Amino acid sequence: MYPIVLLSVLGIVVLFLGFMKSKSVLLPATLLFLVLALASNFIDWNQGKVLYFYEMLAVNNLTLAFNAIVLVSAFMIVAMTRGFQDQEEAQPAEYYGIMLFSLVGAFMIIGYEHLIMLFVGIEILSVSMYILTGSDKSNLRSNEAALKYFLMGAFATGIMLFGIALLYGATGSFNLTDIQSYVSIQGRGVSYILYAGLLLLLIGMLFKVSAAPFHFWTPDVYDGAPTIFTTFMSTIVKTAGFAAIFRLLSHSFTPIYSFWWITLAAITVLTLLVGNIIAVYQNSFKRMLAYSSISHAGYLLIAVTSLSPQTENAILFYSLAYSIATISAFGVLMLVSKKKALEGQVDESYAAFNGLAAQNPLLAFVLAVSMLSLAGIPLTAGFWGKFFVFGSAVERGLVWMLVVAVLMSAVGIYYYFRAIIAAYLKEGDIGKIRIAPFYRIILVVATAMTILFGLAPGIFEKLL
Amino acid sequence: MSPTLSLFYFLSFLTVLSALMVVFARSPIHSVLYLILTFFCLSGHYILLNAQFLAAVNIIVYAGAIMVLFLFVIMFLNMKKEDEESKTNLTKVAAVIVAGTLGVILVGAFRKSQVGTYNPYAHDSQVGMVESLGHMLFREYLLPFELISILFLVAMTGAIMLGKREVGERHF
Repeated sequence: MYPIVLLSVLGIVVLFLGFMKSKSVLLPATLLFLVLALASNFIDWNQGKVLYFYEMLAVNNLTLAFNAIVLVSAFMIVAMTRGFQDQEEAQPAEYYGIMLFSLVGAFMIIGYEHLIMLFVGIEILSVSMYILTGSDKSNLRSNEAALKYFLMGAFATGIMLFGIALLYGATGSFNLTDIQSYVSIQGRGVSYILYAGLLLLLIGMLFKVSAAPFHFWTPDVYDGAPTIFTTFMSTIVKTAGFAAIFRLLSHSFTPIYSFWWITLAAITVLTLLVGNIIAVYQNSFKRMLAYSSISHAGYLLIAVTSLSPQTENAILFYSLAYSIATISAFGVLMLVSKKKALEGQVDESYAAFNGLAAQNPLLAFVLAVSMLSLAGIPLTAGFWGKFFVFGSAVERGLVWMLVVAVLMSAVGIYYYFRAIIAAYLKEGDIGKIRIAPFYRIILVVATAMTILFGLAPGIFEKLL
Repeated sequence: MSPTLSLFYFLSFLTVLSALMVVFARSPIHSVLYLILTFFCLSGHYILLNAQFLAAVNIIVYAGAIMVLFLFVIMFLNMKKEDEESKTNLTKVAAVIVAGTLGVILVGAFRKSQVGTYNPYAHDSQVGMVESLGHMLFREYLLPFELISILFLVAMTGAIMLGKREVGERHF
């Protein structure tokens, strides 16, 4: 609860700091605010389940852990912006303000207890993302991406609202606990409107995390948006979105598991197939990461579909591993593509990495570790993430789904290793890339965390 | 049939008809006018449901402000030319199948489910008035009510940021 209040106020403060002559104060101020929010997040730690504001918001250790992942990712991403100093047209105060506000939306959908909080939270998160996607105003692809994202997102919101209305019609309440008690009393005899409402609500939420039949916006939007905001979208929105889906299904709809698991299983398998197979055919590294984010949504959906006692840990660990690896991959891409820019046109293909290891061993190593983690190779965090997810599926007995998932991870190895091969084995004329000290620290810390969680995943479980 | 019920059927008929006309009208201006009619019918439904304040707000905000925006946009776009974007037959068939499936699911769900019954003794005629709405908004719904202002702030900041004029040219 505290980070929501704090960041709502501090976001306005950041907007006002934009009036100052010197723009250099904005980045340290934003980072400080994020640290403050992270500290305030843990005031409620180990208090059990606490409800705030007339049962609008629930707080327990799980939601706090998700909040912490979101805040840590946001800290790393904001630190990598370097104050937008090298862009003349950038408006850092607005960017930072909107980023902080979007975190408020993320916290709302992580800890919602009332469906109106879910709706308002998703809207805050999405509207911020529409704006940040279009923030590179002189780039036509960025404009197109923003418009596309906005139109499709508006439709998805409409479908979601219709679903919420039907759920209210069936249960007479917006409150998750009330819906849960209605469903558990009625069992399979619940009103049919509830089924329709649940499906529509799920469609709206799955759109936001780019699951398969609703993924068509993802590659264009991730490709068109400025890379820094693509990183923001693919980590924070995904983590918060999955926290929200898991919360809805595990809290309210466990008694009718036999109804919704088939739908979700079909979507999971489709997401895995679409994400991994299309990613193979990409020539642009950034577009590949967009499809890879679809495929990771598929792995996370396995955990949600199996809904065993392990699931919450699996989702938590997987989102953390995925977020760190994605941030470092995009971090390297931003440096390399800027170095290889031609006439203002950045080079985001695999070929941009050719010969990276010769002059920039650190960047090549960071890239390699993040790719290994995303592919799920042992001794990285990504391996344990996949291990926990698959473990929860085994517990539910969804072996056939595991077969698909393992095959698709094998496909994944192909396109992740293309980047490593380009960096280490191919010849290229890439010169020495200058890395700002803070940027270097973030990349090293992200890589260290990936390896640390890969060697000892138990550290994380002890923390919770 | 009681007068309320017949009024309900009349309004529903009018709503569905004008909503269909929004889709089928050739000229965009006609579509907008039919949309206004739809909003008025919906406001009628709100009044039948005892939500007077909502009905008034619906007319002021949607039929008033939003529709003016719609008309502005249509005037700016200058859609006189009759070059409708043609869709392939495959897209049309796919769209019909998808929408039809959703329609079947919804109709099936509504046909099979019990509609909640109405208890006239628990009726409170003041429930849709500003006073009781205000009590709800500033007590139970305080947090979402305040946080919606964050949503508006984000939207306003974004509108100003994106709308501000920049020097320089576009590139691809």
